[in-house]
Amino acid sequence: MVVAERQKAGTFQVLVGKIDEVLQYAIGDPLRYLANWGRLYSLWPVHLETACCSVEVGAAAGSRFDIERFGTLEAFGSLRACDLIIVMGTVTRKLAPRLKLIYDQMAEPKWVIAMGACSITGGLYFDSYNVLRGIDDIIPVDVYVPGCPPRAEALIQGIVLLQEKIRRMPTLSGR
Amino acid sequence: MKMALETEYSPDADRIMAVSLGPQHPGAGHFRIRLWLDGDYVVKALPDAGYVHRGEEKMGEYRNYIQNVPHLERPVILDSSNILFAYSLGVDELMNSKIPSRGQYLRVIMSEINRIISHMYFIAIQGLFLGHTTMITWCMGDRDFWIDLGERIAGARVTFAYIIPGGVRNDIPEFAIEKGLRTCDWFEKRMDEYEKIFYDNPMVHQRSDGVGVLSREEAVAFGATGTVARASGLALDVRKDEPYSSYQDFEFKTPVLTQGDSWARAYVALLDMRESVKIIRQALKRLPQGPVRLKLGPQPRVPAGEAYSRTEAARGEMSYYIVSDGSPRPYRLKIGVPSAKNLRALPHLLRNVHVADIPVIYWSLNYWPVEADR
Ligand code: SF4
Repeated sequence: MVVAERQKAGTFQVLVGKIDEVLQYAIGDPLRYLANWGRLYSLWPVHLETACCSVEVGAAAGSRFDIERFGTLEAFGSLRACDLIIVMGTVTRKLAPRLKLIYDQMAEPKWVIAMGACSITGGLYFDSYNVLRGIDDIIPVDVYVPGCPPRAEALIQGIVLLQEKIRRMPTLSGR
Repeated sequence: MKMALETEYSPDADRIMAVSLGPQHPGAGHFRIRLWLDGDYVVKALPDAGYVHRGEEKMGEYRNYIQNVPHLERPVILDSSNILFAYSLGVDELMNSKIPSRGQYLRVIMSEINRIISHMYFIAIQGLFLGHTTMITWCMGDRDFWIDLGERIAGARVTFAYIIPGGVRNDIPEFAIEKGLRTCDWFEKRMDEYEKIFYDNPMVHQRSDGVGVLSREEAVAFGATGTVARASGLALDVRKDEPYSSYQDFEFKTPVLTQGDSWARAYVALLDMRESVKIIRQALKRLPQGPVRLKLGPQPRVPAGEAYSRTEAARGEMSYYIVSDGSPRPYRLKIGVPSAKNLRALPHLLRNVHVADIPVIYWSLNYWPVEADR
């Protein structure tokens, strides 16, 4: 059953790809621009706190920095409605499979921000026995936000960079 | 009295549904609770911690006493000074160092500033879980004034790394004293507003009065500390019971409530902050002159021996047990954190409650997973 579903999903992907190609030729840039513009200002992040960097995400969502101004919420409950995952710091061996699972469950198109030194290289905990040295071994990362913890302004810059990337996205399907 | 972990359900009953709450869930961050539900009621709950275990204690063994400072404040980044305070007290005890009195006062000031920062985060998220959006926007914004003050003093945002073995890292700039006094005055007025809009709010009372009641005996049995113990009528406060640094110089009270419910646990935090403001004001006004730290050098040698030190952190009693074998690195570093102590009460509190009350009860314990997992 699972296999059949996967095949179905595969055909669906192919179909989307085909439609995509046709649309590319037929309507081209205006539609892509419109779709990207829509995605750009409605980034909904998954609520996945992994370590201490989540404090600065909380501060960024507060009334002083207010990341909602830039078209992104702090966090949202349901995975299926989300298209952004901000990895807030250290990913341990126990959390890593869950992180992969959560990433896989999200609907396309989806983006990843690696926040903090820990999620980029392991940071302070590079020699700890239980910490992953960077999350890009398990999921693809779009924007890296360095710092330990990054200031709220740095996170905002990361989000603006990601929006710049989405604006230039070449295809409709997000691939 | 009943203990929490005995089970009261039969697993083969059809009605019981097993649910996993977290680690990706708005009501439980970096933490999972395994729930057995009967309709809308929780039959049994087991916390599953350990998602942020980073091996701090082991890492402490291959860094020297000064290199240990930055990574030891990360477990509780909201309250970074208090965790370093306990560590520094332990190392000072081992080295037999006499900290200059200006350094002692600055340690107290920073630790109280951090207590306010931590409690502000706590009541902000408590407001969020109770559906009180005003509280999260106000507190998260106001918290930044205190972070700014800390930044003026220590030079970094959130992770101050200010209290180090041998004193504090740098002296307080003159304008920060004035700014601190102004912030104190403003914040006392602000706290009256919090009382009006949050603690006297009928909606907040309805949603948190009598929710997750921990009686005095249960608090003793589970070994609760800090805000949880004080909300249940236990007057536990290391600052009073065993004054460390220069806490004996200041006048303050230990707020104690007797209800033991979620509302009381949130209210104790506010009362705590009122006392913290008093301490900060006294310390800033009476700040003695002189040096702020001892000269230790980059790789201090600590005589062999062992030391146990404890401080009152925002969440409760923070303790360190340090064993030294005379080398520049600790032989063993054991951190006793308040979150782990308060977590023991969670399975008991999450029994026969509505599913909607889980986030309120969970957060009212002031549990910070990163700290508990170390
Ligand atoms: S980068 Fe720093 S603040 Fe962020 S999770 Fe790692 S240790 Fe914590």
